[in-house]
Amino acid sequence: MALSTSLVFYFCCGQLEDQTKKLHKDMKKSTEADLAMSKAAVKISADLLSNPLCEQDQAFLESMTALDTAMRRMDAFNQEKVNQIQKTVIDPLKKYSGVFPSLNMAVKRREQALQDYKRLQSKVEKYEEKEKTGPVMVKLHQAREELRPVKEDFEAKNKQLLDEMPKFYHSRIDYFQPSFEALIRAQVVYFTEMYKIFSELTDQIDQAGLTDEQRERETEAKLSELRALSIVADD
Amino acid sequence: MEVPRRPQPSFMLALPKPASSMSAMGAVEKVTKKGPMKEKLERTDDQVGQGKRNSEEETFESGVSVFVEASADSSELVDTSTARTNSRLPSQDSFSEESSISEERLAEEAKEAKKKSEEEAAAAKERAAQRQLLAIEELVQSERNYLRMLQLSTVTIRSNLQKLQPPLANLDSMFLYIEEVIDVSGRLLSLLDQKQVKPGDPHFLETLCNSFLSLSSDIEAAYKEYLANYNQVTVIENGYKQKEALWNEIVKVIKASAPEVNATSLSFFLVMPVQRIARYPLLLQTIQKHTDPTHPAYPLLEQTAHTSIALNCRINEYKRFREVADKYKKTETLTIKDKINRLNSHSIAKKTARFSQHFKHETGIAAKLVDEEFDALEGFFYVLENGILELLENVETYLNHLQAFLACKTEEFDFDMDGEKAPICYKEITTALRQWILPTFEKRMRTLIHKPLCALRDLLVGPRNLIRKRLDKLLDYELIEAKSNLSYEEQAVANTYRTMNTLLLNELPQFNGLALQMIWSMLGTFSCLHKDLASDMEQLFQSFAQQLPHSSVHPAAFWEWAESAVLEGARRLQTLCQSVQDSLNSPVVQPLSPSSQRRLKQLTDKHGSGKIYQVMTTVVGSRDLDLNLVKGELVAIISEADTRGDKRRWLVDAGGRRGYVPNSKLIRYHQPAEDPPPSPHLTLPEGMSGVRRHSYTPQSQPLTITRQPCFQVLAAYDFTARGNHEVSVRAGEPVRVLEPHDKRGNPEWSLVEAGDGQRGYVPSNYLAMMPTGTGPSSSYYPYC
Repeated sequence: MALSTSLVFYFCCGQLEDQTKKLHKDMKKSTEADLAMSKAAVKISADLLSNPLCEQDQAFLESMTALDTAMRRMDAFNQEKVNQIQKTVIDPLKKYSGVFPSLNMAVKRREQALQDYKRLQSKVEKYEEKEKTGPVMVKLHQAREELRPVKEDFEAKNKQLLDEMPKFYHSRIDYFQPSFEALIRAQVVYFTEMYKIFSELTDQIDQAGLTDEQRERETEAKLSELRALSIVADD
Repeated sequence: MEVPRRPQPSFMLALPKPASSMSAMGAVEKVTKKGPMKEKLERTDDQVGQGKRNSEEETFESGVSVFVEASADSSELVDTSTARTNSRLPSQDSFSEESSISEERLAEEAKEAKKKSEEEAAAAKERAAQRQLLAIEELVQSERNYLRMLQLSTVTIRSNLQKLQPPLANLDSMFLYIEEVIDVSGRLLSLLDQKQVKPGDPHFLETLCNSFLSLSSDIEAAYKEYLANYNQVTVIENGYKQKEALWNEIVKVIKASAPEVNATSLSFFLVMPVQRIARYPLLLQTIQKHTDPTHPAYPLLEQTAHTSIALNCRINEYKRFREVADKYKKTETLTIKDKINRLNSHSIAKKTARFSQHFKHETGIAAKLVDEEFDALEGFFYVLENGILELLENVETYLNHLQAFLACKTEEFDFDMDGEKAPICYKEITTALRQWILPTFEKRMRTLIHKPLCALRDLLVGPRNLIRKRLDKLLDYELIEAKSNLSYEEQAVANTYRTMNTLLLNELPQFNGLALQMIWSMLGTFSCLHKDLASDMEQLFQSFAQQLPHSSVHPAAFWEWAESAVLEGARRLQTLCQSVQDSLNSPVVQPLSPSSQRRLKQLTDKHGSGKIYQVMTTVVGSRDLDLNLVKGELVAIISEADTRGDKRRWLVDAGGRRGYVPNSKLIRYHQPAEDPPPSPHLTLPEGMSGVRRHSYTPQSQPLTITRQPCFQVLAAYDFTARGNHEVSVRAGEPVRVLEPHDKRGNPEWSLVEAGDGQRGYVPSNYLAMMPTGTGPSSSYYPYC
C-alpha cells in the first residue's frame, strides 16, 4: 500500500512536471509575442509621424502625434506588465520545474535501494532454506549482516519520499497562489490604462458614433470614388 | 460567484498512514511475501499470475490504486526474476550480478512493460472519467447556486431595499433586465431536471448539451440586453456610494438579507450574469478536456463549447453597438469629421497651387508653372505611396505577432488546482481574452484596416504608371516644343503629353486627398478598436474584483506582497530540495565480504587509502583496455585521466587487473568508525576493531582557504555532539578545518568550524574531501 501511494504521487508529480514545463514555455512565448506586438504598434505610429505626409496638414499632424504618444505610453505600461510577470510568474515557474530532477533522482535512488534490498533479502532466504552446515551458517550470518544496512537505507529513503512527496505536491497550491493573483492584477492594471488612454485618443482622432457597418460603408465609398478616377487602372 | 473548493477526489489515496512503521512494514511484507511463492516463480508464465494474486490480496479504496499497485507489482516481478537468476549463479562473490541478459528475460520484461503501460493507461482513463464527472457536476451545481443568488437579490434584497426611507432613486432600473436572465437560467435547469438523468449517467452529457443548445438563442437575447445595460447598474450604485449614510444602510440590508453570503454591495449580485456568461466556455471546455473523443456525445459537446464562445462574441458586439447608438445618437461631434473632410481634393490643389504660385513669383518663369505644380503633386503622391506601403507592412507585422500571442494557450495548463480561485479566475480571463475578445479585435482589424489598406495599395499602380508615362511623353514634348511648324506626328505627340498632364493635374489632387482621408480614418478606427478591447477586458475583470484576495490592496502593497511571497516560495523549494538530497544521497555502508576485505588491504597497501574507490554500478567496458567491473568492487586509482588526457576515464587497479573505468561510476570509498573515538583530549582510544580507513588524512597539509580552494571539506555523515568540545554537523555540510587534530595531536579528531559558525571537534574520518568542481547543489560525490 505504501508503495502504491508513492507511485500515485509520482504519477501526479509526473503530470505536474510536464504541466509546469509547458506553462513556463507558453508564458515565455506569450510574453515575447506580447512585447513584439506592442513594439509593432509603436512602429506603426512612429513611421507615420516621421513621414512627410504629416507636414501637409496641421490637424493630421496633431492626430498622428497623439496616436504616437498613446502607443508609446501603452508600450511603457506593457513593458512594466511584462517585468512584473517575469518576476512573479515566469521565474517561479522555472524554479518549480527545477525541483523535479532532484525528486526524480530521489525516486530512482529509492528504486535502486529497493532492488538491492530485495536481492539481499532473497539471498538471506536462500541460505535460510539450506541445510544448516557450518559454512552455510557463516554465509547466512554474513548475508544477514549485509542485508541490515541496506534494509535500513531503503526504509529511510522510502520514508523520506513518502513524507516529502505528498507535501511537495500539496505545496503547489500555496506556491502558485501569488503567481496567479499577480498575473491577473498585472493585466487589470494594463487594460485599465489602455482604456483610459484610448478613450481619450478616440475622442480626439476618431469619428464618433460609428458602427462597424458604417465604417465599412464609408471606406467602400472612398474606394469607389478612387476607382472612378481615370488615372486609376480599372482591371 | 464563489468558486467552490474541489472536493477531495476519491481516487487520490489518502496520504500515507501516519505511523511510519506502517510503510516500512508494508515494504517488508511485500518482500517477504514473495518467499513462499518463490517456487512458483520457476515457471515464467506464473509471474503474471502472481501479480494478479498479489493485488487481489490487498484492499484498496478505489479502482485506480489497483492499477497502480499492479503496475508496481509488475516492476517488482521483474526484480524478483533477477533475484531468482542471481541465486542460481555459482559465483562466490556476493556482489556479483548476472551480466548476461537472456532473450527470455527480455521478452518477459517487454511483456511486463506492456502490461504496466496498459494499466497506467487504464488508471489515466479512470482519472479522466472522475474529472469529467466533477466538471459536469461543477457546471450544474454552480448554475443552481447562481440562480439562487440571483433570486435572492431580486426578491429578498430588492424588497428589503424598497422599504428604505427615503426611497432609493432608480432602484428598479438596476433590476431591469435580470428577470429574463433568471428565467432562462431556470429553464436550463428545469430541462436538466425534467429528463430525470443524473450527472453520473452517461446520457447526462447529451442532455446537458442539447438543453444548452436549444436555449442558446434565448440565452443570447437575455444576456445581451443585460450586459448592454450593465453600465447603468454601476453608475447608479456609484451614485448611492456618494452618500455614506445611505450606502451604509444599503449594505446593512444586504448583509441582513443574505447573512451566509459575504456580500458588501449590490453589484456583488448584479455582476453575476456578466461573469456567468463568460464562464460557460471554460466550464464546457473543461468537460471536453476530460472526455474521450470516442464518447458518443463528444461532437455535441464540442458544438456546445463553440456555441458558448459565439454567444459571447455576439453579446459583446451588441453591447458595443448599443453603446455607440445610445451615446452618440444625440450629439454627433463633427469636428474630427470636418477636419478629415477638409483634406479633400480642393484643399490639396489649393496648397499645391499656393506652393507653385510662390515659385512663380520667385522665378518669374510662367512657363514652368505647370511643372512646379505637377512636381508638388507628384512628390506628394510618392510620399503617400511610401506611407501606405510602410503602414501595410507594419500592420501585417502587428497582426503576425497578435497571432503568435493567440497561439500560446497559457490557459490550458492543468495543475490539478481546479478548486482554487486564483488559477480558475486566471483561466477564465485568459480563455475569454484568447477565445473571443482578442479574436474579435483581430477580425475587426483585418476587416476595417488591413483589407482596405490592401485595396488602397492596389490602386496605387495606376497613377504610378501614368506618371511615368507622362515623363516619357514630356521628354518627347520638350524636343519639339520650340518648333514653330509641327508635323502631324509631332502634333499628336504634343497633344498626348498635354492630355496626360492635364488629366494628372486634375485627378492627382483628388487621389491624394482621398487616400490621406482613408489613412486618417483607419487610424481613428485603430484607436477605437483598442478602446473596445480594453473595455471588454474591464468588464470581465469587474466580475472577479470581489473574489480574489488582495484585490482591494493598493498596487504598491500588492506587488510587495507578491514579490515577497514568491521569494518565500523559492526559499521553501530550496529547503525541500536540500532535504531530499541530504537524506537520499547519504551512502549505504556495507560490511565487506572477506574477499573484498582482502582486495581492500591489497590496494591500500599498494596505493594508499586515499586512492580507494568503489564501483557504483556494474560497468561493462566498451573500448580497448576498459575493465568490466561489478557493482561494489573496490579499485584503486592510478591516474585520473587516460593517455589522451580525457579526465572522465580513469586508470584503475582492480586487484591485479588494470584498465580504464568511467569516473562517473566510481565513488570514493571510506568507512566511518563503528563508534566515534572517545572525546578528544584523551589518550588514543583502544579497541578500534575492523578495517578503518581515513578518508581525510590529517597528515596532509591542513587546508588553508585561499582564493580558489581546489578541495572542499565536508561532513560525510551526521554527527551529534556529545559534549561542549564537539560540534554537531549534518551530512553534506561544508566545514572549515581549523586544526586537523585535537589539543594532544590526536589525528582522529579535527577542530572544525561548521556552517553556522560554531566550532568544535568532529571525528576526522567523518569528514570527506571534495574537489570544488562540483556545484553545491549537486551531489557531493562524482555521480553521473
